[in-house]
Amino acid sequence: MLYLELFIQGLVQGSIYALIALGLTLVYGLLRILHVAHAALFTLGGYIGVIVTNATGSFTLAMLVAMLVVGLAGMLMYKLAYEPLLSQPPYVSLIASIALFIASEEIFRIAFGPYGLSYQTAPLQGHIELFSGFYLKYAEILVMGLSTILMIALAWLSMQTRTGVAWRATVTDPDMARAFGVKIQNVRYLNFFIGSSFAAAAGVLVALLNNLVEPTMGSVASYKALAIIVLGGLGSIRGTLIASLLLGVLESFGTIYIGHLLDRDAIAFAFLILVLMIRPQGLMGGKL
Amino acid sequence: MKKAKIISAVVMSGLLSIATGHASSIKIGFNVPLTGFAAADGKSALNGAELAVEQANAAGGINGDSIVLVVYDDQASPKEAVPIAQKLIEKDEVVAAISGSYSGSTRAAAGIFQEAGVPYIAAYAVHPDITRAGNYVFRTSFVGEVQGRAGAKLMGETLGAKKVSVITLKNDFGKSLAAGLKQAASNYGITIVSEYEYGIKDRQFGPIVSKVKSDKPDAIYATGYFFTAGPLVSQLRAAGITVPIIGQEGYDSQKFIDIAGAAAEGTIITTSLNRDSASIETKNFIREFESKTGNKADMVAASAHTAVKVIVAAMRQSGSMDKAALRNAISATSVVAATGTISFNALGEVRKDVQVQIVKDGNWHEHSVISDSKLLAPPNE
Amino acid sequence: MSYEITLMTTMAISVLFALSLNFITGFCGQISLGHAAFLGAGAYTSAMLSKADVPFLFTIPVAAICAAMLGAIIGLASLRVRHDFLAITTMGVGFLFVGIIRQQDFFGGEIGIAGIPSSGFGKGGFMLICIALALTFAAFSLYVRRSWMGFVFKSIADNEDVTRVLGIDVSRYKLIAFIIGTGTAGVAGALYAHHFRFVGPDSFGFVESISVLAMVIVGGIGSVWGVIFAAALLSVLPMLVQFIDDYKLLFYSGLLFAMMRFSPDGIAGLCTRLFSYIPRRVPDNGGNNR
Repeated sequence: MLYLELFIQGLVQGSIYALIALGLTLVYGLLRILHVAHAALFTLGGYIGVIVTNATGSFTLAMLVAMLVVGLAGMLMYKLAYEPLLSQPPYVSLIASIALFIASEEIFRIAFGPYGLSYQTAPLQGHIELFSGFYLKYAEILVMGLSTILMIALAWLSMQTRTGVAWRATVTDPDMARAFGVKIQNVRYLNFFIGSSFAAAAGVLVALLNNLVEPTMGSVASYKALAIIVLGGLGSIRGTLIASLLLGVLESFGTIYIGHLLDRDAIAFAFLILVLMIRPQGLMGGKL
Repeated sequence: MKKAKIISAVVMSGLLSIATGHASSIKIGFNVPLTGFAAADGKSALNGAELAVEQANAAGGINGDSIVLVVYDDQASPKEAVPIAQKLIEKDEVVAAISGSYSGSTRAAAGIFQEAGVPYIAAYAVHPDITRAGNYVFRTSFVGEVQGRAGAKLMGETLGAKKVSVITLKNDFGKSLAAGLKQAASNYGITIVSEYEYGIKDRQFGPIVSKVKSDKPDAIYATGYFFTAGPLVSQLRAAGITVPIIGQEGYDSQKFIDIAGAAAEGTIITTSLNRDSASIETKNFIREFESKTGNKADMVAASAHTAVKVIVAAMRQSGSMDKAALRNAISATSVVAATGTISFNALGEVRKDVQVQIVKDGNWHEHSVISDSKLLAPPNE
Repeated sequence: MSYEITLMTTMAISVLFALSLNFITGFCGQISLGHAAFLGAGAYTSAMLSKADVPFLFTIPVAAICAAMLGAIIGLASLRVRHDFLAITTMGVGFLFVGIIRQQDFFGGEIGIAGIPSSGFGKGGFMLICIALALTFAAFSLYVRRSWMGFVFKSIADNEDVTRVLGIDVSRYKLIAFIIGTGTAGVAGALYAHHFRFVGPDSFGFVESISVLAMVIVGGIGSVWGVIFAAALLSVLPMLVQFIDDYKLLFYSGLLFAMMRFSPDGIAGLCTRLFSYIPRRVPDNGGNNR
């Protein structure tokens, strides 16, 4: 019973990680950039979610607005921050991304105050009792459900539509894709839009689970997401998904049973380093 | 022509020095978290301290000299607090200082102030080692252990709990409270059936909540700040746990209630601010704080306010700005403030009643008061 | 005067720390996002020894050795991974270090170690020691850069595979860079512990690692003078300008971003380019400009 609960919680947490890490993996796969500032978009999504819900009373509207606005913000971030740095060595965009992330945390604090925001009347706080003593919050069901839907939608998009094919082609071989008439620029924008809006969804969901958004809520997510995509094998979407869920469950059990040795975040990195030593390309990584 | 210029220059600088000299100010240092995770508490503490300074200056300052608060943001980080302490002492040359910050940074700074012989008052930081830095360091709030012991009495005697699960925040605040609880637990018939820890950045407590549920305790003693306690309490209730949850002054803020929503109802805490207090000092403070800031008063604001009051009273008492004399005056002080009557023992700790507050109808209200002298006696050395 | 001494000491320690990272990342091209762990290793070692009444000067070499041993382990691990993986791995090492330290009461746990005794040399004397050590390492760095070892480092930084093909034992040199860089960070850590008189897990986290990396990059990755200048400036800027202190993080990250966007080779790069616009009568002697 306890184990089942811990497992389900691991899946819930893992779903959130998956939504965030996916955006990171998409960017890396396309541009070989470690997009640390991605977590800032996660936080922005959370803030928009709470503000719109408090203003209009509709959670669904808030989710849609958050995903849209943050998707656009992600595209803007690419245009202003990453595009000019594409010709520089990789550490330049990494540092620029970290700088951007720290700056955005400060901007959130200055703009929204250090206190953090909460929903006035948090939606979906009720729970259902599946069987004796096992409770599941509506919010938790939503997290798992929405993540699954978004992932399936993404898979459908990339496999079954022209845009998706163009996208996969660009990732595999940009020059070839260009030769076939694919507009690389648009693919990149689409990439950032999707990754960022997924992060926004994650932000809104986390705000729902905790009933709190803070300027620094992205910091843990940013490092963990990096660990996850490396764990999964940089650039591999499947690897990222597996790594996310795996880590979620691992943390869930780990905090209870080895919490006295390592704190929660360290568990993620310990696991990562372990895996990298055995398999330097990550769980599902291809070439090194 | 040149002579005239020189004369006018001399006259000007003379006037300038007279002008600045007349408005000589008394500087009190204040380190407080204004950015970082503790920024909310820091802002509140700053407001409380500023209110006290305004009130003191309105009442004539210290013999006509106005008091100035020299404020630096320490991000609740010991690493930041130390250079700030050095700056306050060496550059700003403050006469005394107050910590409006958490235990980690206060503890680091205390050693610096002690060595420099500058009186330092910790407004609400709980770690016992703070006052052990020396006789120049005081504390206007409870030591962690004392509050923990009060919690034991509250749970064992008042609530009749026998089995308790403890959820501890992994820092000096949480740990010293838990230590106090464990010290006194058996005296009140309490068995601690399980203990869990979490980090200050955690907001998802799923695994701990599940485990606690399976432990089936009579009460839960959870330490934390409002931004961890809010989600924790909300998640505990959502999992179907109905037993009393006991918190401490870290919860003491309207924000806790905002975050936990309906789940906050019935949460009980040990703290220093009684919203329903009959004391005039407390009532005035609550009223003036709300009108100055538009926010509801909380423990950190009240504690910072109290600390300033103590220094001001000591300054008026000693009549001189000599730091050693000021230290003696603080040591001998007895002042009625928003958080109770403040007087210090040999270690610089205060002895006052513990206020127990409960969330009722979305607000903090009085639940009871714990005044057991022996139980609440702070350490003497 | 007392306050100025404090500032100078802080600057000297930061310069030493930044130069130690420059050795690894600047000279040898191994990006490290967890360098603060070695500062921490040195600081904790020195702090605990000092509290056990070991004289301050003796704690310095011990701190250096502890940090270097840790550095050797990390160096060995880093041989397995490259570039982005290396960056993340070093970041992970930083988190792991902090995560383990916080859990062990032996290291003071969450609360850290306070009340570290004074160095025994007085404020002025301590400052001189820090400055001396910083200058010594700066001189050493300059020497290495012009030496055979420096040449190999640069070669590895530019193109590791080609270097290996040339018959050079790349692994050995990478390890040497790590050991020297982390050992020196350990020395900086010992000084840190006795300057701030307090060490805790939060003092050596990711933000610290990024800050020192920022100093190296803003200075100009690989440039000794640039890094000295940037480290000295960035370490005391918040204390000198109050406005900066309140918006410190925003200012730092803004500066860092602007640097990356407009001058990724840092201040040294800016200077090089500036001077190249000045017409010279003497032909360039082809110095080691990055």
